[in-house]
Amino acid sequence: MAAPSTSKAEKAYIQASLQASPPLRADGRTLLDFRTILLETGVAPLANGSARLNIGKATQEGGGGTEVLAATKLEVEDVETGDGVDGGRLVCSVTCSPSAYPHMSSIALDELQYDLTTILNQTLSHPSLHPKNLSILPGKKSWLLSLDLVVLADAGNVFDALFMAARAALWDTKVPRTRAIQYQTRRSGYASKNTDAMEVEGESNITSGFDTRDMARAAADFELPDYWDEGEVLDGRDRWPVCVTLNLLPPVHFLDATLPEEASTTIKLLLAFSFPSNTQSSLQAMRLTGSGEVVLAQMKLLMADGERYAREVFHALELKLRDEDIRRNVKARDKFTVR
Amino acid sequence: MISFASFPVSLQNETQDLTRHHPNVEDDIDMDEGFEEGIHRLTSPGEPLTSSQAFMRGHGTYIDREEVISSVAGTIERVNKLISVRAVRSKYNPEVGDLVVGRIMEVQPRRWKVDANSRQDAVLMLSSVNLPGGVQRRKLESDELQMRTFFEEGDLLVAEVQAFFADGAMSLHTRSLRYGKLRNGQLLTVPSALIRRLKSHFLSLPCGVDLILGLNGYIWVSKHVKQSEQEGEEAFDAEAVYSNKNDDIDDATRLAISRVSNIIRVLAAHFIPLTDTLLLDAYEWAVEQEGDVKDLLQADIGDAMIATITARD
Repeated sequence: MAAPSTSKAEKAYIQASLQASPPLRADGRTLLDFRTILLETGVAPLANGSARLNIGKATQEGGGGTEVLAATKLEVEDVETGDGVDGGRLVCSVTCSPSAYPHMSSIALDELQYDLTTILNQTLSHPSLHPKNLSILPGKKSWLLSLDLVVLADAGNVFDALFMAARAALWDTKVPRTRAIQYQTRRSGYASKNTDAMEVEGESNITSGFDTRDMARAAADFELPDYWDEGEVLDGRDRWPVCVTLNLLPPVHFLDATLPEEASTTIKLLLAFSFPSNTQSSLQAMRLTGSGEVVLAQMKLLMADGERYAREVFHALELKLRDEDIRRNVKARDKFTVR
Repeated sequence: MISFASFPVSLQNETQDLTRHHPNVEDDIDMDEGFEEGIHRLTSPGEPLTSSQAFMRGHGTYIDREEVISSVAGTIERVNKLISVRAVRSKYNPEVGDLVVGRIMEVQPRRWKVDANSRQDAVLMLSSVNLPGGVQRRKLESDELQMRTFFEEGDLLVAEVQAFFADGAMSLHTRSLRYGKLRNGQLLTVPSALIRRLKSHFLSLPCGVDLILGLNGYIWVSKHVKQSEQEGEEAFDAEAVYSNKNDDIDDATRLAISRVSNIIRVLAAHFIPLTDTLLLDAYEWAVEQEGDVKDLLQADIGDAMIATITARD
């Protein structure tokens, strides 16, 4: 049994504060306030895309807050041998550092990791979100995009943090440019001229050419052209969803719960929304965890509210990600001038 | 409602360039000065303190090339020929008589295991709690069977360090009416180095908030309970002492509790030791600002508060 983290009196205090009017939380936030979120992209130099995210870190202090590290890595897969899927695929995995959950047994930690992995993998590898540029040679080779997330510390609201970090890392991902090449014998050329001697000459003239002129027809392999940047951005970077966790404590619900708050609410509603354009939105995933029940009529209201919160989170995150892109371009340019 | 920020930029690279030397380059450290007993000098990991021939190494140090070298950042302490370094950030080092706030982790035969932010779980024996029906009486078998009615897993309590076991774990007691189960408030955690030993660790602020500063870095912020209601040696009421129910708390008190909690968070983030006068100054300042409670956690407002209250001393 995992060690308890809150006493009954604490739970009652938190519940009563949340249900008071006006509602008040331990750190003075209103129900819909998030803690400050810190985000940095490009933290892992060897990854194709990476991000570090922290929710609720104290301003001056070294520690505190929910900290998640996300990184993507591209791998070449052979479609013909059955390893890969034509068009590429995305695989997510979530690891929880034991130091984030010091009181948990290793079995419980494995279960938690499995749960988090399932939710992320099912949501992000859904066909509706599939990036189009993960194919290298149609029917032959494709990219496997592995997205790995590590929960370094948990101070509540780990689902939102994971989805935001995943979105940031995928946004940051660059797919290397590839050029298809073909190994060609001269046989076809001779064959047209000299049909009688084909068998003899064909055998003797097999020299593997390195010819890219006719690559569209029967490309056999690919090369990575040397180019000034790391590649083109992963397709569909605007589509990756964000998640909001609605912690339900009827009649109210609140966002971005801390650990004691999570312990004193029984039901959590996870909603992952994607906003492909400014006007439309699509619900990509939904989970109701915990004990207790919600009636359908209330669920509809909650989903409408959730969409509004998610849109806010989405726009704030996108703004920050664009900022990060600019910041890193400037940094790269500075580094270049120094050299 | 939601805001993103960047991670603070660390100045690591610059400072490293300034102070890093080849290990063979000897700094001109006057080896035998600065070790007077009672005077604390700060040190950082890897700093040679003294020769290992003249001194013995204590906690927080190691010996390399006949030198005693600090392995943690903290203050140097010397007792005769023993040099040790007390780390700035470490787990709580208990001493007998300390007031601590702890959380029950496990109920075991005739004892509770208590998390008190120390290296090992503390132990609270059934014989060192106040039992219902009389202040001092022998524990019975029936008490053993209903230990969870006194404290169960997750409960918070305030207690005093009574003694140490052979393995260094501390033994607690709650044999005073001021000690016992905690209700009507919320817990805060700060580095244990920030709690000084004070005359009293039960503070009562005029805004209707009681504070219990546990020396282990756990702070209980709760609604004020009148002294007269707290005590009453004869009418020891087990129902009230071991209750899990909160009293009615009005919104103003809840707000004050949140505000005090945020002030302590900001002070802890700036690594300022807590005193009652400092807390009062900060609370007055926060009320004067007429801002929201959550504003205190913003970096600039927190910095402004620290600047004002530290300037007053």
